[in-house]
Amino acid sequence: MDRLEKMNINPYTVPGLVPGLLGAGILLLGLMLLVRSLRAPARGAFDARPPEARGRLALTLALCLVYGAGLVGRGLPFCAATFLFVFAAIALLQWPERRAGGQTARGLAFAAVCAAGTAAGVTLVFQELFLVRLP
Amino acid sequence: MLGGALAKLAAPATLGLIAASCLAGIVIGALPGLTATMGVALLTTLTLKMPASHAILVLICTYVGAIYGGSRSAILLNIPGTPANAAACLDGHALACQGLAGRAMGISTTGSVMGTLIGIFFLALFTPALGEVALKFGAYEFFWPSLFGVVISGNLTGNDPLKGWIAGFLGLFIAGIGTDPIHAYERFSFDNRDLAGGFALIPVLVGAFGFAEVLSALAEKTARPAIASFDSFLPRLGDVLKYWKTIVRSGLIGTFVGIIPGVGEDVASWSSYAAARRASKTPEEFGKGSVDGLMAAETGDNACVPGAIIPVLALAIPGSAPAAMLMAAMIIHGVQPGPLIMVENAQFVYDVVGMMLMATLGILVFGLVMVRPLIKILQVPREVIMPIVFVLCLVGAYSIAQRVFDIWVMLGFGVLGYLLRRHNYPMAPFVLGIVLGDLLDKNLRRGLVLSDGDLTPFFTRPISAALFAVCVLTVLLNIGALRRGLGRLFAGA
Repeated sequence: MDRLEKMNINPYTVPGLVPGLLGAGILLLGLMLLVRSLRAPARGAFDARPPEARGRLALTLALCLVYGAGLVGRGLPFCAATFLFVFAAIALLQWPERRAGGQTARGLAFAAVCAAGTAAGVTLVFQELFLVRLP
Repeated sequence: MLGGALAKLAAPATLGLIAASCLAGIVIGALPGLTATMGVALLTTLTLKMPASHAILVLICTYVGAIYGGSRSAILLNIPGTPANAAACLDGHALACQGLAGRAMGISTTGSVMGTLIGIFFLALFTPALGEVALKFGAYEFFWPSLFGVVISGNLTGNDPLKGWIAGFLGLFIAGIGTDPIHAYERFSFDNRDLAGGFALIPVLVGAFGFAEVLSALAEKTARPAIASFDSFLPRLGDVLKYWKTIVRSGLIGTFVGIIPGVGEDVASWSSYAAARRASKTPEEFGKGSVDGLMAAETGDNACVPGAIIPVLALAIPGSAPAAMLMAAMIIHGVQPGPLIMVENAQFVYDVVGMMLMATLGILVFGLVMVRPLIKILQVPREVIMPIVFVLCLVGAYSIAQRVFDIWVMLGFGVLGYLLRRHNYPMAPFVLGIVLGDLLDKNLRRGLVLSDGDLTPFFTRPISAALFAVCVLTVLLNIGALRRGLGRLFAGA
């Protein structure tokens, strides 16, 4: 594609005009935020998460990323990928309380049933009933 | 036209759809962690292959149901099902603690039904009128509502206008990634074919509201909620007569807050609550189980739903995040909202009015029938619900265009949305910026071409000047010294 200047476009329609103005706006607002934070204490304290919450967040993020970016659309059937994700998510997130209650086997069985139900249900409802293509 | 719309909706299959989608909306709204926006986004995927009228009907019923359903968990668990129901927690849960949970649920049903009806009245009245005015809009006039929406949304949502405006401008910037709408020139694509098409709205919304919420909900460990028994939850006609002033005031506030782009149901609810408290003879009861307070909150947030649809239909500018999702779904199904809708497809406006009336009937019926089953659903642990919600988010992101890239967009915007929230950047202006970015970009450049680079028409044409003045006022009123000075001036006067 020729450069736009060679195509003699109207200079007021350059594609970079609005992104440039928005970038300048964000820069200005960012500088105002910086000045404000240097002059005054923080508005709305940023609460540091306890280690347990950070651990759960990291686990959830890892599971979702592995499922969304690693399993789906990579050759594994959607049903199988969904079963693995839901099983792992429920089992791992409930693991501490199941272990404390001596219910690990029951917890794993519960996770397997939920995972099978979700995988089958989503596939049937979306693909067969509503004719929506799944990854 | 309205009669024709209602007649179409009376078919048995359609009534079944209304019932199922109101029910789905109430369940989605009641479950903390699932929002109305997420519900509408997930159901957009499910309704892709349906005829447009049925699809929009399902989404409207889900939207109305979700805003109403959130009051259930607000009253029973002191956790708002959706952000719109946060105000209902104050008096709703206080009533539940006094053994009056049923009474509170009856009040919320009454308020929600009356609020939606008031909003529907203005939807039918204002949409054609606003459409007529919008036909006179040119490029200069269309530029300002886009910027105004981001400015006002950033100002009113969240605690910090500066961060709200940054989020809004970021959204406007992200909307520009991809192919330029005037010259088809690729911007910020880095020679990536997928990025050249830009970010589709539904994966972005599903990520920002769905995946981000999944991350937030699962990071916190919550105990299994215990719900005590409750009294009768039937709405009382006497409440409508006794609290009619609150209902009308909150209905008006909710509807007009809904019309303001990007502000949404939570602001409508809090504004109605605050107004009721100011007008009340017993303001000290607010927060301790005030029927007036709960009625105001629930009337206001439900009146906002039809209000938010008014600018969608007349201007193609969403009044709230779920309305943005609804607008995207309308476009997917071939309905083009905007000023020409009253010219090209006026019947659709009345179809929407009819759909909202049926949704109101749905929430009234299911508000009575669904109380006990909903309590069982509320007790399902988040560790079970949220992974299933994420699966639906993934399907929702993929199904629109069948691109794996959209799944990555959903994941990316989910992480970004989570980080923005953690640092107190509100999501509503961010999403509104993405929706309005294209409109702002095209109309600014068109306006400059028409005026040959002269900026004067942007500030001197009557409608443009009015919107420019409101934008400037909104920004200036956030300057502390100026606000204090004006406050002293008015107090003295």
